[in-house]
Amino acid sequence: MRNLIEPLIARLPLDFRVLYHQFLLRVIDLEALSIQADIPRFLGQFAGVLMMLSMIHTVGFYVSLVSTRAPQDFLAVSWYFEHYFIATMMLVVGLFTVIAWDSTFPDRRDAMILAPLPIASRTVLFAKIASSCSIWLLAVLTLNFASGFVLPLVLGYAHGGLFGFLRYLAAYWFTMIAASSFVYGSVLTVQGLTALLLPRRLFLRLSAILQLAAFGLFLGVYFLQPSLSSPPVLAEPGNQWIFASSPSFWFFALFNQLNGTLPPALAWLAYRAWIGLGVVTAGSSASLLLCFIHTMQKTIEQPDLVPGARGFHWAPRLGNSLTTAIGYFTLRSLIRSRQHRVAYAFYLAIVCAIALSVVRGSLTARAPAPLTSGFLMSTFMMMLFAIVGLSRVFALPISLTANWVLRIAQLRPTEKYFAATRQALLWIAVLPWWIVSAVLSLSFRPAHQVVAHLAILAVLGSILADLSLIGFFKVPFTCSYLPGKSNIQYVFWFFAMVIIPLVASGANHELHALNHPRELARLSGGLLAAALTLWAFNRHRARSAVLYYEELPEEVITTLGLLSPRSFAAPGASHAEVTHES
Amino acid sequence: MQMLELRNVSKHFSGIPAVDNASFIARAGEVTGYLGPNGSGKSTTIKMITGLIEMTYGQILFSGKPIHDDLIAYKRRMGYVPEEPYLYTHLSGAEYLAMVAQLRDLAARSSAERIDGMLRLFSLYDDRHASISGYSKGMRQKILLIAALLHNPDLILLDEPFSGLDVASALVLRSLIQELAARGKVVLFSSHELDTVERICSHVVILHRAKLVADDSIEHLRSLMKLPTLEKIFAQLAVEQDSPAMARQIADLIDA
Repeated sequence: MRNLIEPLIARLPLDFRVLYHQFLLRVIDLEALSIQADIPRFLGQFAGVLMMLSMIHTVGFYVSLVSTRAPQDFLAVSWYFEHYFIATMMLVVGLFTVIAWDSTFPDRRDAMILAPLPIASRTVLFAKIASSCSIWLLAVLTLNFASGFVLPLVLGYAHGGLFGFLRYLAAYWFTMIAASSFVYGSVLTVQGLTALLLPRRLFLRLSAILQLAAFGLFLGVYFLQPSLSSPPVLAEPGNQWIFASSPSFWFFALFNQLNGTLPPALAWLAYRAWIGLGVVTAGSSASLLLCFIHTMQKTIEQPDLVPGARGFHWAPRLGNSLTTAIGYFTLRSLIRSRQHRVAYAFYLAIVCAIALSVVRGSLTARAPAPLTSGFLMSTFMMMLFAIVGLSRVFALPISLTANWVLRIAQLRPTEKYFAATRQALLWIAVLPWWIVSAVLSLSFRPAHQVVAHLAILAVLGSILADLSLIGFFKVPFTCSYLPGKSNIQYVFWFFAMVIIPLVASGANHELHALNHPRELARLSGGLLAAALTLWAFNRHRARSAVLYYEELPEEVITTLGLLSPRSFAAPGASHAEVTHES
Repeated sequence: MQMLELRNVSKHFSGIPAVDNASFIARAGEVTGYLGPNGSGKSTTIKMITGLIEMTYGQILFSGKPIHDDLIAYKRRMGYVPEEPYLYTHLSGAEYLAMVAQLRDLAARSSAERIDGMLRLFSLYDDRHASISGYSKGMRQKILLIAALLHNPDLILLDEPFSGLDVASALVLRSLIQELAARGKVVLFSSHELDTVERICSHVVILHRAKLVADDSIEHLRSLMKLPTLEKIFAQLAVEQDSPAMARQIADLIDA
């Protein structure tokens, strides 16, 4: 395969290949994470996780289908999974576009570096598109690697033997590529139009807001839209506006139209998919072309200095002056650095997904419900991901060369810096998600149990914050980062095999304790003691620690064993003799 | 009397000396120029004086006390303008200066007034809420200067402070350095602009290939070496190549 591909690649123009490689490295923007970031390895891990997801989903689909007996249940299960696969594909591509935001359009750096060089604009354009599409196609292929074969085989073969399988196979892959193109193209169209219509400095400001809005939109639509639990759901008049406005249903209809099983009453949904695809293809192509013609020039011509936002610049103190300095530095870095925002968004996506699942359940409930272990587990998970995510993002540097000012102005002991960092973690990760949990718990009763759970959640937040900061004697975003420490696949399996069962068991234990006051007192006392112990432990360690700005690899000392008694013994000497002599 | 003293200070990187046995004194009330060609060890010396890097041997004293005895107390009295304008560019100028004031534990109200005042005097007030990423090199240099002077330091270390400044700002800075020295501050000033050094420094230290080759007043050096300008003195002590011949060689290479 490699022998086939390499000569083909070699035939591409050299300038295209060089630019493609450069742009590919920047799609995920890993350069901010580490200068030595191993991009192919990271992409390999990313692909590995998607392939695992594909396999898990496919097994779920196959087991559900095999366990159904009635023909109408068979249809319901197959429709449910068809829609689920399409919606999940659209979500993954949507989140990918959020992560790779702006990467398809030339930025100031591209304009300043490439404009003086003898490179045609179309080469830059094609290299940009090719690099973005490479990651996008990787996501499509890996996420459907199992389901893209098993679903057509099972459903297609049942409908029409080998021909049915081939028809389903073609329909499946066409639909997936079309649905993901639709999402990707929609984002490009919106970005391109705003870049064309707005002055550059306004576009830059709006772009960050659009990125967050897109992130919220993709997650919100995925978790709040109804699933296809049965074919009659599609005919319910109350659901029509949802189907009409949700692209995942359009492409579900398109898939069934292509494989020849779409009821005529739903043909309008499939037409929406065709129209949407056409509009987005035309819109994204036009905006890409126009952007490359106009935006490059506009980027160079616009002044460097973007005036600051007028009006409100109130920044209340968050404690002592050091806590305030580190708190605002953390918050501003998180909000303004695209790389950090995107890295944290990955964790927030999971937190929001959990929160939205709870919201969806609450919306359908008519009256306040009793507390369930599922709700308790959801709040624990939200807290866990928010804290772990932020502490991971804290470890990524923002500007190592600017750290000198912190070192020059380091006038207080390390424990003060540690306390300020802990405070920032509590303000930014624990408090917001504790408030979200409190709001979500309004639909649960009895009130005294809800209050007790919120108190336990707060203590748990403190424990998790202290756990994530063990040995973290640095200011957020200021320490160099050693690549290769995170292994997504291991983390994924550790989470699936250890953390989820642990949290589930904890939630069950808490639910039991909430109904037994003595048990509750014991649980609360234990958690409080753990929180205080961890806090005191970190504080004690911070007293003798030195604030550091460089992550150093652990020293590996290999002993040659030259001084061991055995090494001095004669080749034929037995272990007993050697020990005795020594 | 306040003074900065270096005693046999050396810094070796992988066994190679970047600064070799440097000893000199910078006194309060005068501006000490610290000169040397690229790679001679000027910035390394200044980084050792700031405490950013450890010295291999020797001792640095401020007001008679080794700085490492109480580095935090020393840092409170020191202001530093680095050679490169490295700043957290995602912050605005006002936010960066407020952060520096908070890190230095300055009183909130008085530091806010001082920041506003200095931003106005350095003509940055209108752009104080703009992101530093959009600032020109000169604007960044002004932010570094304000951050270095915000806490009224006794020791001011200036590493190429005129870099990127326009003529008007450079004139103000030149006078400011002299004014600060006149008010009893110890000022150590490193620059390649020999003309400026000659105008504002009374005392110069010249470094060449990691070693000190001169440590004296400019007047005394002039009379001692019988040379009319600091540039000629510097050329004799620290420049090895024949500059016009080298320029001809470069031009020949381009033409070839």
